[in-house]
Amino acid sequence: MGPYNILCMPITGPAAADGASAKNAVEQGLKEVNDAGGIKGKKVNLIIYDDRLNPQEAVAIANKLIEKDRVVGVASGSYSGPTRVTAPIFQKAGMPMVAGYAVHPDVTWDPKEKKPNDFCFRNGFLGEIEGAAAAEFAVKNLKAKKISLIFMDNDFGRAISSGFAARAEKLGATILSKQMYKFPGEKDFRPYLTRIKEGNPDLIFAAGYYNEAASICRQAKELGITSQILGEEGFDSPKFLEIAGPAAEGVIIATNLDRDDPRPLVQNFLKNYRKAYNEDADMVGASSYDAFMILVNAIGKAGTDAKAIQKALLGTKDYNGLTGKISRFIQGEVVKPVQIQVVKGGKFHRLGVVDNPEVITPPTKK
Amino acid sequence: MLWQQLANGIAIGSVYALISLGLTMVYGILRILHVAHAGIYALGAYVGLFSFRLIGNFWLSLIVGMAGAAIAGYFVERLLYTPLLHLPRIAPLIVSIGLFTALEEAFRIVAGPHTLAYNARVGLGDLSIGSFHLTETQILILLVTLAILIFLWAFLTKTRTGLAMRACAQDPETTSSFGVNVSAIIAVNFLIGSAMAGAAGVLIGVYDNQVWPTMGSIPAYKALAIVVLGGLGNIPGTVLASIVVGLAETFFIGVLAIPFPRDAVAFVAMILVLMFKPYGLLGKA
Amino acid sequence: MISGYLVTILITIVIYAMLAHSLNIITGHAGQISLGHAAFFGIGAYTSAMLYTEAGFPFWTSVPLAAVVAGIVGALLGVPCLRVRDDFLAITTMGINFVVEAIFLYIPFFGGAMGIGGINLPKWFGREMTKPEYFFLILVVFVFFLLLDRQLGRSWIGLAWASIREDEQAAGAMGVDVVRFKVLAFILGSAIAGLAGGFYAHFLTFIMPQNFGFGQSIVILSMVVFGGIGTRWGPIAGAIILGVLPEISRPIMEYRTLIYGVLLLGMMRFQPGGLLGPESILSKTFQRTIYRLVSPE
Repeated sequence: MGPYNILCMPITGPAAADGASAKNAVEQGLKEVNDAGGIKGKKVNLIIYDDRLNPQEAVAIANKLIEKDRVVGVASGSYSGPTRVTAPIFQKAGMPMVAGYAVHPDVTWDPKEKKPNDFCFRNGFLGEIEGAAAAEFAVKNLKAKKISLIFMDNDFGRAISSGFAARAEKLGATILSKQMYKFPGEKDFRPYLTRIKEGNPDLIFAAGYYNEAASICRQAKELGITSQILGEEGFDSPKFLEIAGPAAEGVIIATNLDRDDPRPLVQNFLKNYRKAYNEDADMVGASSYDAFMILVNAIGKAGTDAKAIQKALLGTKDYNGLTGKISRFIQGEVVKPVQIQVVKGGKFHRLGVVDNPEVITPPTKK
Repeated sequence: MLWQQLANGIAIGSVYALISLGLTMVYGILRILHVAHAGIYALGAYVGLFSFRLIGNFWLSLIVGMAGAAIAGYFVERLLYTPLLHLPRIAPLIVSIGLFTALEEAFRIVAGPHTLAYNARVGLGDLSIGSFHLTETQILILLVTLAILIFLWAFLTKTRTGLAMRACAQDPETTSSFGVNVSAIIAVNFLIGSAMAGAAGVLIGVYDNQVWPTMGSIPAYKALAIVVLGGLGNIPGTVLASIVVGLAETFFIGVLAIPFPRDAVAFVAMILVLMFKPYGLLGKA
Repeated sequence: MISGYLVTILITIVIYAMLAHSLNIITGHAGQISLGHAAFFGIGAYTSAMLYTEAGFPFWTSVPLAAVVAGIVGALLGVPCLRVRDDFLAITTMGINFVVEAIFLYIPFFGGAMGIGGINLPKWFGREMTKPEYFFLILVVFVFFLLLDRQLGRSWIGLAWASIREDEQAAGAMGVDVVRFKVLAFILGSAIAGLAGGFYAHFLTFIMPQNFGFGQSIVILSMVVFGGIGTRWGPIAGAIILGVLPEISRPIMEYRTLIYGVLLLGMMRFQPGGLLGPESILSKTFQRTIYRLVSPE
């Protein structure tokens, strides 16, 4: 029996589009690993389940993965809801799990016992950290003084905007307004943006996934808003560029994928992904790919024993990831620089990197 | 800013009206809660989008989208609803919910899970008066809605078929005894109602530049709330309720800045109104 | 020893069955369409979760209190709901579902979009209950409700509900206190759904508002409809089918939800009474078989 890695993700239901990106990217990773001879000569077998973004199904899947499929490790390509529910199950079973982009803090933390879920790791940024990094860039590099916030009402939107606001205020900027919109489903941002226009901010920090992001940028342009728009990793998708069209030009985002990264790992991934799926890779795909590869790497070092894999993950040091160099994990949270990208000529390009350790180091919880 | 918000609110209210009118017409004549109407709305958007990609003309794609939705609506009525009319009301309701779920999944499987852009050039141009700004797509929505409302009014009041349709909504049995072909009237009703939903789908597709598999899931229930608010089956009431909800949502967010979920506004309004007027704003017992 | 996977599915099925059963009291017995049953499921789950994590109540009191709170809210909402009829009622209950979900999402007290975590399985004999033990606990509770349901069905309450379901005006004319019996159905149905919510919260350990949205209401209603509205075993059959279906259809995951929609549609179109309804193929075949067995001539 070869080593298994598993991914659960939303194939159907409201998050089906992100599920497809995660699936494609991980399958590409699988191909790379197996083409190179697998792990220590054994092929990696990937099992993919659809959780429909439904926590209840995720619980059943988690149990199935542990008991029926007897997997070696789990990579999650799903949102917070399902990932958060399964984390304690994996923790209890001593099953290493790496989450691709789920953002809820309790994926890596047990709120009842007040201790880390030390079998659970996260490749994506905590919302607060990405928000703080965006604020760092907005105030220090873009010299924004008056800022308006608009964000979706889910765990990610709330976390990233509170991280942004705290850091921006600490650096001396003024937050003019904070508006929260319903997620999923909001398409008409005109009422929010009309309000923002009144305050005439230097910068609008907007959080949302690519649909909302594209609507915000287009409608802001329609309403004649000229303030700089700064977004986050949810904007990081070729779909955003396609739907927003010319309105995307000049939009800046904080994310974890640097498309101008010269490392062959990054450039080959982008090229092969495009070849295999006839579309460009996005942040969700890249993060899920990394979650999968981090796990493969740990299995390569430690073998198939869960404890040993956990130890290898805990000992991760300067790992060369698709979404940046991971210096280490602190209580399961990744430490890596935040990438700042700008849209130029209809493509994402590098604008800067935020690597101030004060900003990107996750806080140690007690 | 107030004028701008007013325009924003009326534009979104107009789209609500286009979706809800078909729903209220269906209810008026068959007494069915047609949840899958929102599936027809999304279907209209997809048909419109794909025809736009083929022919490249927005106005033609609007018509094709409306036609596609109308045909689909007709088959839903013939194959699913009419055979179930003798059953308790819950049966067609559940059929409708099942159909809606299946339609959303079918869109995802056929057209992919990602959002598609409906990048159509309409050719109307924007309108700016001072700080007040109407975009091309807002003008489009207002014009199309107005045209459809005028058509609907003329149809229902000036033609024999329209008269028969209103009679059917009042009392199908008596109408039938006057020699009116009730079955044909029901079919016409579905064709018109579904075409309006298709138009709404295309318009939203262009307004947001997005067409996606689950685009019907919020309209599915919000339109129901609006229809009830207006008095189930009452056409002027539905138009009024749509505009009221569109404006209320916009003002809640944009003027009062109350962090209340937009989609609950319609339901809160509906529940409040029903407590005082159990048959809706303009409804009669 | 049953596996955790199996027991997870079994627990899901019993919770589903409890929900379907509770909706059946409102929709099947008293004939009132509700499209918002998940609201009471959610009220129960949130009550239990808040009492357990914030106020430090043990499972053994937080879950019964969840039922009490859901029942009270059911009564409060049931009274105005009954001012409206049929389709208006259906949409009003749906509206209540949206408003309740919005309250959980927007009032910070309820944890908002972050949800509530750290709700554990109950403790007994000085240790945490295992999942199989938890399964048997809720199974026993459910069987108790089934017995209660049977007693109710035979009593004058059951008769009053039947008369309201068949013809409300006639029932009123015969002296049945229509409003009182309708509200009673709402209270009972909501309370049992609230109890199921408490069990659900402690089983999942983490809840968020989206778990109790309109989609969940439709799932509950589908179970009742699949099995047969108003029948005793129908909702249970529906719960088993909808609990097992997602698992056995895993290999064809791309098409799972499509199949669910088509099944729902096809079922109502061709077997509107449900699987175990009096007119269904299954019931008829069953009756015929019994008949043949009893009278071989």
